[in-house]
Amino acid sequence: MKQLRRIALYAGLTIAAITFIYPFLWMASATFKPAAEAGSLALIPHDITLDNYRTMWARAPFGRALVNSTFVATTITLAVLVFGSMTAYAMARLNFRGRPALNAATIAVLMVPGQLTLIPLYTLIVQLGWIDTYAALIVPYLFNATAILMLRQFFLQIPQSLIDSARMDGMSEPRILFTIFWPLSKPVLSIVAIFTFMGAWNEVLWPLLVVREQNLMTLPQLLTVFALGGGAGTVGVSLASAMVLVVPVVIAYMFLQRNFIESMAGSGIKG
Amino acid sequence: MPSVTFEHVRKRFGDSTVVEDFDLVVADGELLVLVGGSGSGKSTILRMVAGLEEVTSGTIRIDQRDVTALPPRERDVAMVFQDYGLYPHMTVRENLSLGLRLRKIPRQEIDRRVTWAAGMLGLASLLDRKPKQLSGGQRQRVAMGRAMVREPKVFLFDEPLSNLDAGLRAQMRIEIGGLQRRLKTTTIYVTHDQVEAMTLGDRIVVLADGRIQQIGRPIDLYRAPVNRFVAGFIGTPPMNFVEGTLRENNGQAVFITEGLSIGVPREKTLTANPTQSLTLGIRPEDLRVESSAAQSVDDGSSAGVLRGRVVLVERLGGTSHVHFDVAGGGSRMMASVSNDRLPIVGETIVVRVPPERVHLFGADGRAIGRTAEIV
Repeated sequence: MKQLRRIALYAGLTIAAITFIYPFLWMASATFKPAAEAGSLALIPHDITLDNYRTMWARAPFGRALVNSTFVATTITLAVLVFGSMTAYAMARLNFRGRPALNAATIAVLMVPGQLTLIPLYTLIVQLGWIDTYAALIVPYLFNATAILMLRQFFLQIPQSLIDSARMDGMSEPRILFTIFWPLSKPVLSIVAIFTFMGAWNEVLWPLLVVREQNLMTLPQLLTVFALGGGAGTVGVSLASAMVLVVPVVIAYMFLQRNFIESMAGSGIKG
Repeated sequence: MPSVTFEHVRKRFGDSTVVEDFDLVVADGELLVLVGGSGSGKSTILRMVAGLEEVTSGTIRIDQRDVTALPPRERDVAMVFQDYGLYPHMTVRENLSLGLRLRKIPRQEIDRRVTWAAGMLGLASLLDRKPKQLSGGQRQRVAMGRAMVREPKVFLFDEPLSNLDAGLRAQMRIEIGGLQRRLKTTTIYVTHDQVEAMTLGDRIVVLADGRIQQIGRPIDLYRAPVNRFVAGFIGTPPMNFVEGTLRENNGQAVFITEGLSIGVPREKTLTANPTQSLTLGIRPEDLRVESSAAQSVDDGSSAGVLRGRVVLVERLGGTSHVHFDVAGGGSRMMASVSNDRLPIVGETIVVRVPPERVHLFGADGRAIGRTAEIV
């Protein structure tokens, strides 16, 4: 009886797992199928071909878009980590006039939906003459209220005596942040990093608004323009371009996965 | 030469004053203990010396140099924290040497000092461990080592033993005392534990509500507390207090309360008005328990004798605490007695109160007859 229940449980879980992974695997395999076979549900193609990728690469500057996306997403992620933790450190551990107001303002920012600021922000970018520049893609994302609040929450738990010790040892505040707080905050830093990177990487709407020059387009943007604009022609080519978009995020996730799980297991930082 | 000088130091947080007009001179090489309950301002004073807390007004000097506005690193002081403040991601060696590396001290000198401190504290075999792999006592030693290697002018200890269990605390207390005597570094030690204060301090400063209550050698605070707060704070078990009044009786001052009248030596009543309401304090170890009530007692005797009914006997081994209700009065007192003749619960005992051991406090809490010593 117990055995039976176990089997049923695992069967259920397996089906659930397959429903999650199958579309992804199918997509991956479809990119290697010739056009005639693209509609089949089989996971293993009869004839393996790289034609879809060749066509895609030839029709639009995906290589360049990959570089653009990597540059933009990495810069944003680093900025969010550095500026975000500096802000969070000040908000969590320094005493200054107006700190409660700053906290409240940061939380208030969370409540403003992105769509609301889209048009004012766009107008601003136009006025600055930043259309068709990296600045337009990067600058609006350098600070992130969610990241600040997450980091602040974590920083609040670090014992005061560590800061005191560091000050007695002669460290400056930035040094305390980067040599004491950062090593102790790896779990939350990785979470913020991966969310920020994924968010920046997948962003489509904003690049569509501020970048028209094909050589500056990010990967999802180019993909959208390419696939929706009919440039792809076949399903296989569309999917191949989607693969190019997804793979870097999966790789990034795998690198940070260990920290991810660690942070969920909770980290004892009591010294 | 004074090592640390406080001149009219005040500290306010918002509307509340935590340290009020603090004036003190710490002598070179002295171990000074700041003792008080929570909220007494003792830790704040220490943090102001360290530079971790700003001074609202007043001046702090270290070796006659005004350090009031200097950041911690320029003050030449080292501090040991209650929860140690060790960097969890660094080894013991890195923890010890970090402050020196940041001060650009030559490599060889750092190694020499780390080896010296580790040897002195028995940490030599633990240098490559992380704090997480150490016991509480070992972490405490690393925290002390980190202060020692800096070779500062002043050591600051902020309740360093309160995270340790009782046995370890007693051991580390002895180690800290021994270490300080060997190094002869001026030390300010903050604690809420009056046993630590009594055993460690060359001098003790008793604080309450941000004000100095009394400064003195441990034995002076014990023998001659200037007010009721100090009397109740210093000494374990704590002093008994009984409310009453002072009367003139045939030219002698007599303290009268329900169940007890006791003649008090002249010099203890100099500043008291007759019929003033007073508090009498007597330490449990100064009370003499004379067993059975069978002995006839002269109630009107100026020797000061009272009867009590035993309500609890706490046996501690060497001595025991006898709690009793004073006959004819509501007050409960405690006597500390040696074990050879213990009364039992419910027994009526006769307790002798030696007049020369009695402390008298006025309605304002000040000790009577000791005005000259009040700070």
